Amino acid sequence: MICRKNFIALFFASVFVAGPAYSQNDQNKTLVVAVSTDPVNLEPGTNKAEPIGSEIIFNVFDTLVSWKAPAFKDLEGRLAKSWTVSPDGKTFAFKLRPGVMFHDGTPLDAESVKFSIERTRDINPYMKSNFGLIESISVQGALDVKITLKEPMPVFLSLLAQPQAAVVSPTAVKKFGDKFNVNPVGTGPFMFKSYTPDTNVVLEANAGYFRGKPKLERILYRVIPDASTRRLEMEKGGIDISQQNAQLSSIPADELKAFKDNKDIEVIEVPSQIIRQLEFNNNIAENSPVKDVRVRKAITYAIDYDGLLKGVLGGTADRVYGPLTTNSWAFNPKMKTNAPKYDPALARKMLQEAGVKPGDLKFTLYSFQGSLWGAMATLIKSNLADVGIEVTIAQTEFPSYRALQTAGKFELALDGRQPWYNDPDAHITIGYLSTLADSAMTFRMPKDPVLDALILKAQTTVDFKKRKQLYFQVQEAIAKKVPGAYLFSPKLIVFKRANVKGLVVNSAPPLNEYWGVSKQ
Amino acid sequence: MTRFLVDRLLSLVPVLALVLVVIFSLARIIPGDPAVTLLGPGATEEQISALRVQLHLDQPVTQQFISYVSRLAHGDMGQSLKSGRPVFEEIMRRLPATLELSVLAMLMAIVVGIPIGVFSAIRANSWFDHVVRVISLVGVSTPAFLLALILQLIFGIYLGWLPISGQTSSFIFTERVTGFALIDSLIAKDPKALWDAFLHLLLPTTVLAAFLAATIGRFVRNAMLEVMEQDFIRTARAKGLSRYAVIFRHGLRNSLLAAITVIGLKFAEMLGGAILTETVFAWPGVGRYMFEAIKNRDYPVIQGATLVFAAMFVLTSLLVDLLYGRLDPRIRKKMQ
Repeated sequence: MICRKNFIALFFASVFVAGPAYSQNDQNKTLVVAVSTDPVNLEPGTNKAEPIGSEIIFNVFDTLVSWKAPAFKDLEGRLAKSWTVSPDGKTFAFKLRPGVMFHDGTPLDAESVKFSIERTRDINPYMKSNFGLIESISVQGALDVKITLKEPMPVFLSLLAQPQAAVVSPTAVKKFGDKFNVNPVGTGPFMFKSYTPDTNVVLEANAGYFRGKPKLERILYRVIPDASTRRLEMEKGGIDISQQNAQLSSIPADELKAFKDNKDIEVIEVPSQIIRQLEFNNNIAENSPVKDVRVRKAITYAIDYDGLLKGVLGGTADRVYGPLTTNSWAFNPKMKTNAPKYDPALARKMLQEAGVKPGDLKFTLYSFQGSLWGAMATLIKSNLADVGIEVTIAQTEFPSYRALQTAGKFELALDGRQPWYNDPDAHITIGYLSTLADSAMTFRMPKDPVLDALILKAQTTVDFKKRKQLYFQVQEAIAKKVPGAYLFSPKLIVFKRANVKGLVVNSAPPLNEYWGVSKQ
Repeated sequence: MTRFLVDRLLSLVPVLALVLVVIFSLARIIPGDPAVTLLGPGATEEQISALRVQLHLDQPVTQQFISYVSRLAHGDMGQSLKSGRPVFEEIMRRLPATLELSVLAMLMAIVVGIPIGVFSAIRANSWFDHVVRVISLVGVSTPAFLLALILQLIFGIYLGWLPISGQTSSFIFTERVTGFALIDSLIAKDPKALWDAFLHLLLPTTVLAAFLAATIGRFVRNAMLEVMEQDFIRTARAKGLSRYAVIFRHGLRNSLLAAITVIGLKFAEMLGGAILTETVFAWPGVGRYMFEAIKNRDYPVIQGATLVFAAMFVLTSLLVDLLYGRLDPRIRKKMQ
């Protein structure tokens, strides 16, 4: 029991004892990143494509290959110095970079690559189907590893660029066991230092990083759940970077306006591969007006795309014209030329030709919760009202919404997809393969063996040019069916303090890399 | 007295059992399952089923209940579906932060609310009383997050005096011993950290205290007005006691009895965590944790946290009753 006199004495005596705190110089070498919730898992074996943990993985671990900044159109070797693909497209032989060390001092070698991939395949339900494509992994030499697939899958290299495909230290896994998830050890530019739940994650620079020591000494992820608090901290200088997580359902236009006049804050806008659309239930069981392609087409001509992009989204998104975004290497330019334009008069005429009178059609429009989806739904409701279609908006909490979708209990819905790897396969296969219609939130395409065969052929064709042509055909075949109205692709928006330089923002998955970042 | 205590403590068991059954079923009745929420919109049925099996959610509900209760009997509240860490540990880890906030907010509310209640009663219907009643109405009606935002703007941005989020500064590391930022910085003999923790506490404490102070003030005012009409007050005045003695020794002490019940119950409520305040100020407390758990359908956390809150509520109201008994001889007799 500290009595009052002693307490006062202790207090004054302790004034002369310095406590652990950061100097101003330290603060300049520390990057503070704000995130909205705790990361769920910090290593590839357990992280199921959750964004915050995935970004930490991106900076603490390395993958075999990754996309070259800033265009993200070409793959370059990260842990792999070079690789070859067999003519049948089934075997990938990697030569690893020599001299790369894990943070615990053990060397990177072919055994650790084999160990990592097999471990992730076995324990991560998210990666089970990705890595389920693998027939075998063989170690050909200390730095030579060969991965053989069950079937040719050119998308496999893109899958290897995901954070969930990163390479872990087998020694650390054996040492930490279950706790490896909160003691991740990789080869990356930053080493894991500490995780304080609900508060922060601290990473420290890896001086021995094979691409060169990072300029920063420390990265601090601060968990700040409230968006307006993050914004105030940004203005106050309490955080350096705040990512507009594109999966969030709010519109960043307000923040953009607020920060525009602030010379201490810069906004980075990067095109993403996310697509948001108004989709029809394309294999609806009952008789429904959306079964008629003329009705569907009319609806696509009733939507004010410019109004949505400029008015509602304030320029923070790009138009999408078809199943792929314009920045995809497989984007078919015909999608743009043939895309529907806002024309209510034409829409009304099309409806008339389909035998529909104004006031005949009444739909419920389902969507995710959040102000962004609400604004989209409101615009579409008013656009459709202009052509005589009545719409009731039903924004639904995610788990219920998903249940509704996979059971096919809707006619109109707002939906979207954020691809987690950089390949047209990410949008096309799961979105449009009719055999997968009920397996996820898809376009629910009706049974069509011809389109299915085309999609599977495009997925497995090894020759790049031929594959591109096949995806062109796929897009045209899909567009003919009018499965939905393609609306927009939100840009990835990152707010940063003006003195932060060298930030690399990936588009798919949308994560930041901090290796080259410095604060001036 | 012991009989009274034992009875009340034993009553914990049926109360908690009922709470468990209710929360176990409620959590599962809400549409949406954890595997879906954990994996997000892009997940396929295959990925979701695989995760469900991993989390034992594929078992029938009755079996899940039985395994939960049998583990609970051994003191195991299970693991969080999201983080995989033991639920009890996670709750206990966050409880000190909520306690620190609740205790200080309660103290602030008492220090502000009681004097204001007393003066309002003494000067009933004066301009002071009217002003105070309007302010306390505003204090009770303003949503916590709005008040929080206003305080953040004024004190954090415009004046720049106070930090606007977090329990401590990102750049000050104090070794965690108890989880109470103030106490840990004292243990570490770090005045910078102590001052830093104190500054971080000011705004969230004020937001929590505002509502409470207004409630306490109104309560004390009304209780005082009633008490001051009693015969024994007239007697005290007639005896020639000083104004001070009449108001405080006789008036306030008797009004406080009723106030204590309110204060105690409000405190018990606060232990469940002030969700909005903790969210806006990024305070690492149990309220925020429970809110996230509900969003994520993290069943073991929802169940475990509810049981802990229920137990704390029962124990706190027991303490309040005991305190009441200490202060009021009439009740003390009944307890014995």
